[in-house]
Amino acid sequence: MAADVLGEFIRALRGANLPVSTSETLDAMRAADLLGYGDRERLRAGLAASLAKSESDRRVFDVCFDRFFALPGSQAAERVAAPEPAAPPPSMIQRLLGGGQQASGNSGAGGAGESLGDLSRDLLADDQAALAASLATAGQETGAAQIRVITQKGLVGRRIFLAMGGEQLDQDIRDLEASGAVADQQLANRLRTGRDGLRDNIRQYVARQFLLQGAAESRLLREQTMREVALRDLREFRDVSQVIRRMARKLIALHSRRQRRSRKGLLDARRTVVASIATDAVPWRTHWRQRRRIRPRLFVICDVSNSVSAASGFLMLFLVAVSEVLPRTRTFVFASRFAEVSSQLNGPVDMSVIEQILDQWSGPGTDYAGMFEDFLAVAGSEINRRSTVIFLGDARNNDMPARQELLREISQRAGAVFWLNPENPNRWGSGDSVMASYQPYCRHAASCATLAQLERFVSVLLSDMRRL
Amino acid sequence: MKTRIQSVEEVTQSFARHGYICNDQIATTVYLAAQLRKPVLVEGPPGVGKTELAKATSAFLEAPLIRLQCYEGLDEARALYEWKYGKQLLYTQLLKEQLGDLLDGAEGLDQCMERLADMGDAFYSETFLEPRPLLQALRADEAPVLLIDEVDKADQEFESFLLELLSDYQISIPELGTVTARNEPLVFLTSNNTRELSDALKRRCLHLYIPFPDQQLEARIVQARVPEVASGLREQIVAFVQGLRELDLKKQPAVSETLDWSRALVLLHAHQLDETLVRQSLNLLLKYEQDVGLAQRELPGLLKRALGRR
Repeated sequence: MAADVLGEFIRALRGANLPVSTSETLDAMRAADLLGYGDRERLRAGLAASLAKSESDRRVFDVCFDRFFALPGSQAAERVAAPEPAAPPPSMIQRLLGGGQQASGNSGAGGAGESLGDLSRDLLADDQAALAASLATAGQETGAAQIRVITQKGLVGRRIFLAMGGEQLDQDIRDLEASGAVADQQLANRLRTGRDGLRDNIRQYVARQFLLQGAAESRLLREQTMREVALRDLREFRDVSQVIRRMARKLIALHSRRQRRSRKGLLDARRTVVASIATDAVPWRTHWRQRRRIRPRLFVICDVSNSVSAASGFLMLFLVAVSEVLPRTRTFVFASRFAEVSSQLNGPVDMSVIEQILDQWSGPGTDYAGMFEDFLAVAGSEINRRSTVIFLGDARNNDMPARQELLREISQRAGAVFWLNPENPNRWGSGDSVMASYQPYCRHAASCATLAQLERFVSVLLSDMRRL
Repeated sequence: MKTRIQSVEEVTQSFARHGYICNDQIATTVYLAAQLRKPVLVEGPPGVGKTELAKATSAFLEAPLIRLQCYEGLDEARALYEWKYGKQLLYTQLLKEQLGDLLDGAEGLDQCMERLADMGDAFYSETFLEPRPLLQALRADEAPVLLIDEVDKADQEFESFLLELLSDYQISIPELGTVTARNEPLVFLTSNNTRELSDALKRRCLHLYIPFPDQQLEARIVQARVPEVASGLREQIVAFVQGLRELDLKKQPAVSETLDWSRALVLLHAHQLDETLVRQSLNLLLKYEQDVGLAQRELPGLLKRALGRR
């Protein structure tokens, strides 16, 4: 029984996006065996040690733990503590019903007030423990833990009610009402109140199951939608930065496994032999060829004018999220003015920091030629063949000269130039867009209207960085 | 090494005897690690006693502590074993003549090779092996506590290299074969979170996050570590430091800094905090100029809170 509960708890953790492996599950079970279920906080500590493997995982774990092993009267905790819930004491009901007759379970409709169902008797006796146990059993039988979509809630609730003997309860109430006796009417009233309470409990139980189990599925659906929707419309979603972080983690895992060449380098035979002359040709001191490393650098220049600022914001957020596999990065923004924002993007960055940058620098009227000049003036001397430069913008130059020779200069100095354009490729070059003049000087020009496209670009960027 | 630990309480009490005050989470994790024979990955901000935990455990289990400090560029040669190149060279030079005698009268290259092969792998044997911390831990006669400090500083390859050690307590050396632990060590890995560790590593370890202690716990730590501080002053110190941590600092003062400060205040014969005293000794708590500046500005409020809570 205990193993079942732990298994269910782990499934809930997985639902909350905590990657729990089989070996960790085994660890958790052994930990729970060692610590026992007596002390809630100790159990929490032990399970957390074996299941939650980072600070943020721990927070998720705590929320799940509190929900799952809810206090007081939790089904899970009680099922562990008392695997075989005791049958409700019959004496009390008998006293209530005023007869010494032993009710024989679900014997169907009989004389009013004499042969009530188990559920009715539990309700009358107000035996919360028995009710909770029977609710949990019914929940398990009907597979409440399998609930996936929010619209299933009503159906699952109804099934649990029936599995607990709800039909019998309804019948009992009808029978009691049909008989004319005042005592029976009172009983019927009490049963009705009890039934309402029970329905409430079932509703809460189902809601909790949905939160624990089903939320994962609908989150996947939501994430899928978020990746496809236009970046412009994405700002209103609050959990967008979490999605980005998750996408980024995947990319990091993919790209950080690069094999590094031996740091010591090859044996420098010439120098070793020369040095060995002093020690009578015994190569006492070895010399190694060392590779000189020029550190790669990344420059990001984002157009933050109103039409494209959303895409710029998300690109910055994305790059910060994968910063651990990126070289040193300098980030610039421009609209009517050109400014460096690298310092603001150091350290923890969330949506609010990005919003702040966008608010501060966004404006109308972009001049790409002016931006190239400013960029060359500020960072031109630092660009070398190990630099990568990323531009994000719609290349709508407000009918000013494109000056693509400036971009050519940047492109010649840098190792690679990438261009991201939030517009659809078939609109590039239309109207006042000078994208067509810029495109020849870019290693790769891509559209970035959705998170999915942004993710693809960052993946391309990271694999391109490997060459450095 | 002690093999049986009775309960979590035993861990807590024994730690307290050795001057390491810990919460239930820490004690439970150490208990589980010792019982399940699992490594523990300890994370948390610098200075909360991650390394100290390994030391306390080694004292508690009466086991030797073997420490491996990680850094960027740490490789197998530094962590596991190295061939003593100098000694090998010296021996070949000294034994030159013996080698000549050995090969004396041999006909042809084949026979020479045969005779040399009879010597076995003399030059790649135990004599020339320099064991580094990891190998020491595996070959120790008594199960040790192995502390792999700041594993996040080492490179990713090194992390992958550790996996075999952490899951099976064995390591493969090309020239010698697989070395299995004589006595399974209790392994602590610490990390300051400068980079995300791989899932494979995390999966093999129990995880322990040590946050900054709350006021009560920190007071007990100060009491255990710097018993000379009078109780009134101790409360003020702890309240002040807790207040500091709420500011937006570049580096928050850790427990080790609280202890340093307490010791300094004892040396200065302070009986209670006052503004000039704090102003002069603030650099013991804060390690950045801008943090000191910020704290100076907030000083009156912080002091008022620290003194008011008495």
